Amino acid sequence: MLLRSLKLHIIQCGFAPVVLQVSRTCSNMPLSDTHQSPDNAVSGKQVKSERKLVVPSNSRFIYPEFLPDPKMEWRNSLREKLERLDMIQRRKHIDIPEFYVGSILAVTSSNQHAPNKATRFVGICIQRLGCGLRANITLRNVIKHVGTEIKYQLYDPTIQKIEVLRLEKRLDDELLYLRDAPNEYSTFDENMEAEYLPEGTPVPVNTTLVKLKPRPWRARWERKNMKGLADLELEERFYKRAEELATPWEKYDLMKQYRRTIPEEEQKEIFAEVCSELHEVEVMRKKLKRKKVFVKPTRSS
Amino acid sequence: MLSTICAARKFSTSAVTNHIMKLTRLRVVDNSKIGKQAMAEGKPPRCIHIYNKKGIGTIGDKILVAIKGEKVKAIIVGCVKEQKANIPRFDSNNIVLIDDNGTPLGTRINVPIPIMLRTILKEKTFSKGADYTKLLAIASNYV
Amino acid sequence: MNQAEVSQLISKLRIRISPRHKNLKCPEGPQGRLNKLRKTVNALFKYERLELNYTIADETRGYAERLISEAIRHGDTHKPTMEMADYWIEEKQLIHKLFKVLVPRFSDYKTSYTMLYRAPKAYPDIVYPRSVLELRGNPFPSILPQRIDQRNFIHNILLEEAKKAYRAEKYEQITKSLNEQDVVDK
Repeated sequence: MLLRSLKLHIIQCGFAPVVLQVSRTCSNMPLSDTHQSPDNAVSGKQVKSERKLVVPSNSRFIYPEFLPDPKMEWRNSLREKLERLDMIQRRKHIDIPEFYVGSILAVTSSNQHAPNKATRFVGICIQRLGCGLRANITLRNVIKHVGTEIKYQLYDPTIQKIEVLRLEKRLDDELLYLRDAPNEYSTFDENMEAEYLPEGTPVPVNTTLVKLKPRPWRARWERKNMKGLADLELEERFYKRAEELATPWEKYDLMKQYRRTIPEEEQKEIFAEVCSELHEVEVMRKKLKRKKVFVKPTRSS
Repeated sequence: MLSTICAARKFSTSAVTNHIMKLTRLRVVDNSKIGKQAMAEGKPPRCIHIYNKKGIGTIGDKILVAIKGEKVKAIIVGCVKEQKANIPRFDSNNIVLIDDNGTPLGTRINVPIPIMLRTILKEKTFSKGADYTKLLAIASNYV
Repeated sequence: MNQAEVSQLISKLRIRISPRHKNLKCPEGPQGRLNKLRKTVNALFKYERLELNYTIADETRGYAERLISEAIRHGDTHKPTMEMADYWIEEKQLIHKLFKVLVPRFSDYKTSYTMLYRAPKAYPDIVYPRSVLELRGNPFPSILPQRIDQRNFIHNILLEEAKKAYRAEKYEQITKSLNEQDVVDK
């Protein structure tokens, strides 16, 4: 795969003027946070955006896997670049929509074991991990009173389709506590219809507080400072111990924060590199969506 | 009190792996009489042997369980432990009881079973040995 | 396999940062380590130049740089930045120095805000490497020897002229001797 993308990269370098032109033509579209209708946008901001491509400020939330691993020993600029090229290449083939931990997704993937060679799994996204081509998500659903989870690699070539059935956020970045919660918190209908969210509206935050089952749990949730958990109803000694083990000084550790993140300048560089292609992919997706929505009117007498 | 806490801190602990190994408690998910009874009494079967060379069972492995004072063979149809991508992981260690020929004791499986079992069990079946594919026929739901 | 934390944006530092932090041999653990560093950060903002152990200086440098860059980025009206400055700077009058003196001083810098030099070890006494950490633009004389233009010193000018005169004399002698040889040949 690396070799293939290297070739691709060389080809792109060879046709540098062409690439430039492409990026310039698509830069006519403003890349702002609010999604406007394309006709309106072209006439409105053509003059301004011709010189400079505007990178949307929320890119880092929508495409976190484009940012490399912050661990310095593992950084390799060439590998990261090649990975980004591969990711964009993959995004041109399937639509990987915007979603967050807490959104309800449906993933259709090729499966050699299935009779019709494809399976579909609906579930709430409880974890989003990894970066680059290794980005993965974990979906959870309760099927016939048994909690079921499947991990999917986002850029796996066997994935056929990723649909967002309900786009929303939760209070936490990881919902692993749903494993210790009663089943109704993670039960979703398999034939659920996708909910429509008008364009331009901010992503709603689901503020449900999860009431856990009594102990034993898979983790000591009283020590994790989860915002989405209701009162845990534990004995005093648990909270006491949690307080003993808390690390309140960690929020002041400036260098620890720095080593965990990618600095703003690097983020800008990365997203400036990929945003024209990403925008192109998004425009394509919108066009396809509009095509699908159109229903031929039928005569009714 | 303090000394007991200090003593408890002197050994290190590792993260829970949720392996299925000897003496693991399991959950019978078919409607066989013995399995239902054992689950209803609150005495779920215990794994006493795993028929592979690692001693740790995963989806599709045959195991021997002790259930209500009897030794019965069973097939694992779902594990709690972390799985690789595209392989489902369940909230309980599910087993289906079988006899020596691979025929399930029950007539129905009430939980979803991983779809990869179709291939795994077919590969394990030999023409004159045990036939495990009968288990697939009584499954009601695949994931 | 980690994902970069994206909840807040952080400016890039213009110094070399080691991939892992140093523990600094602290019996009180990570909190004690931060307390140790707080003292040096405070002292750095107070005295602007310190001589100290290299390891501690290297660790302190990152924290001081981050504090200044946060102050430049958000200003003194940003509550979390103020809280951070309140934690890191123990003498509270230095918080004013950070926002009123250092921020205007460093706001248009294109380089790092601090400098770290290796200092000599006093051989039999100290075995640990020593270093000098300072804020840029401090009022003290520079640590590195300044390169002064020495050509205009009076003795250098005189020597230069003497050299020129000597050379001219030599050339004259050579030409004279060559001419004499030509006459003899003819």
